Amino acid sequence: MTDLGALDYIWLGVLAVFQGPEAFSILGLSVSITVLMVTFGLILGIVVGATPGLGSVIAMAISLPILISAFGFNADALLPVLGFLIGVMKGSTVGGAVPAILFNTPGTPDAYMTTLDGYPMAQAGKARKALKISHFSSVTGDTFSDIVLIVCAPFLAILVEGYLDLPEKTALLILSLSFIAAVVGGSAAKGLLSCGLGLLAVYIGTGEDFYPRLSFGAPALSDGIPITAAVIGILVIGAIFAELEELWHQTRRTGTIEVARDEGDQRLHWADIRRILPYIGRSALIGTAIGALPGIGSTLAATIGYATGKRRHARRKAPGDKAFGEGVPEGIAATEAANSSVSGANLIPVLSLGIPGNTAAVFLILAADSIGGFNPGPAVFKFSTDLNPELVIAFGLFTTMIIANLLNWTVGGALMRWLGVLVRIPKQHLLPVVLLLTLASLYVEETSMSAVWFGFGFGILGYFMKRFGISPLPFVIGFVLGGRLEDTARQAFSATGGDPFFLLKSPIAALFILAAVAVVFFSVRKPKAVTP
Amino acid sequence: MWNLTANRALGLACIAFALLVALVWIPFDTDTWLVERKRGQYIVGDSLAPTLAAVFVLIAGVLLVLDRKSQGEKPSRDNLAFICAMIGIGGVCLLVMRWAGPVAATLLASEEYRLLRDTAPWKYIGFVLGGVALIFSMIAFVEERPSWRALLIALAAVAGIILLYDVPFDDILLPPNGDV
Repeated sequence: MTDLGALDYIWLGVLAVFQGPEAFSILGLSVSITVLMVTFGLILGIVVGATPGLGSVIAMAISLPILISAFGFNADALLPVLGFLIGVMKGSTVGGAVPAILFNTPGTPDAYMTTLDGYPMAQAGKARKALKISHFSSVTGDTFSDIVLIVCAPFLAILVEGYLDLPEKTALLILSLSFIAAVVGGSAAKGLLSCGLGLLAVYIGTGEDFYPRLSFGAPALSDGIPITAAVIGILVIGAIFAELEELWHQTRRTGTIEVARDEGDQRLHWADIRRILPYIGRSALIGTAIGALPGIGSTLAATIGYATGKRRHARRKAPGDKAFGEGVPEGIAATEAANSSVSGANLIPVLSLGIPGNTAAVFLILAADSIGGFNPGPAVFKFSTDLNPELVIAFGLFTTMIIANLLNWTVGGALMRWLGVLVRIPKQHLLPVVLLLTLASLYVEETSMSAVWFGFGFGILGYFMKRFGISPLPFVIGFVLGGRLEDTARQAFSATGGDPFFLLKSPIAALFILAAVAVVFFSVRKPKAVTP
Repeated sequence: MWNLTANRALGLACIAFALLVALVWIPFDTDTWLVERKRGQYIVGDSLAPTLAAVFVLIAGVLLVLDRKSQGEKPSRDNLAFICAMIGIGGVCLLVMRWAGPVAATLLASEEYRLLRDTAPWKYIGFVLGGVALIFSMIAFVEERPSWRALLIALAAVAGIILLYDVPFDDILLPPNGDV
């Protein structure tokens, strides 16, 4: 067998996508299942993004068990399933702007800034133009972010694998958890609480002893809490309850639930693109830099991108021109480019370090865990001369991202504009259906009623966390990383001969721990108001 | 003046919970201590990781109690009424989903439900009754009135989920048929 270099791995990744199992052929040209699944994922992502009350997390939660049932647990399933999830992630980023612009109803917090200029444009009869600007800015930001991911993730992984041993990796996990806890959500204290609860939950029923710890001897707890039940319960079911309650309050206040109406049409010209490009460029840089840090959501990127754009626009606009917030295309461009460029960069920590930075990354880990054969983390990027199948999958994954971007550029915009009609589906009818679908998908994945009960229970916890102003993201990331943190710490402790100060002996590990303490300390002194 | 704000109340609850976990639950429900000596070597015991998680909660609680800047958010009486209704509706409907099939089989079939769980119409009884009840009740609660439309949506949605999961896949069982 010939020795494999970096270019060989990149080529093998591309071939794995295009020459994988064939779905069908057009005029003798074979279309692989992976390409088809990326396309389906993108379409589904745009649809759920454009539907208020739904989102990429719900779509991923519902489709994962179907995908695993359809493709099975083998290496051939990895790229179609992960490609589908990548498609959903990218599609929903684009689709999310539809309700924000047309009906002033941000489906997600990061789309709030889009309403500030998007809705006034729609009211002024320029809804279609606003959607085109949003699509162009969003896809440009996303593409830029993906390029940074593809270039940076392998180098970061090689650095981590080359310089970090077990104590340093343990310290890095602690730093990541502290960082996520400190910067996400209303305050560092609530972030720490969320993270602590996530860690506590994942340690139930696990461990190395014969007796499953913290299980009260109950069979339902002795196998541990299913990760899908905890993640989907906290993120999806908790959000459904909160959303349903808003509708309930609307009924009680006014006797009716507000339904939005469609309006407006315009074209996007080259002059418009030239006008918005500087705003897109700045926001893409801001979003990518913010997205590369684990746990910081697209809301902060959108806020900073919008604020930066607003300052620039205020300096340059003519006296009679509209300002940000009054319906200027630059406002939409600054927001959409910033929040979309977070998504690609958010995968840098998951692919290079195995640390999920956002909820989409959590689902990629869940899928990879369920199917097997791919463990996101620094070990993936081993450019060994013998074939490393995980590295081929990683480059295949990058290829699916490029395909999703190309599809987004070509058909995504048109699809997004057709879907304005979805905004008319009453949320009070949609959300209970989504709840049952989510519970059914949980059951299908775990084949256990206790998983359904766990999901429902974690949904209630997620609801209460929302009411107390606690972000659920640190909980989820604590839950996902808790097992790895314990395993790495156990190995590091044993490898250092039971040294209780193993985290402080190496300068890099000590630096990480110091940074973890500093991040929490400074966040406590200055509370942030960032919700992912 | 020391006010019991929402954040402080949450902080005190966190401290109490963390202490209960660290001093009662973990010691009494775990086999090994924080660190154990095994074959002459020190190894990490099963108690260490959950104790550190409890310490996270404890630190969060202390920080919340010491928070002088913000009052903090808390659930209102309306919030509690809503979530109690959701717990009630969800709990009852999931119980119906779990037990309707076995009860129907006991009353009407000659075989036990376990043997019928992959046979129509038995396999659909629990999911259809529980699922329709869940969707219908939640829509009716939010709209504050029952309606035929809500019932039709519930029936259509349950039929759609059956078409999505049960019809195309032989190896997928709808709730609760996989573990009855």
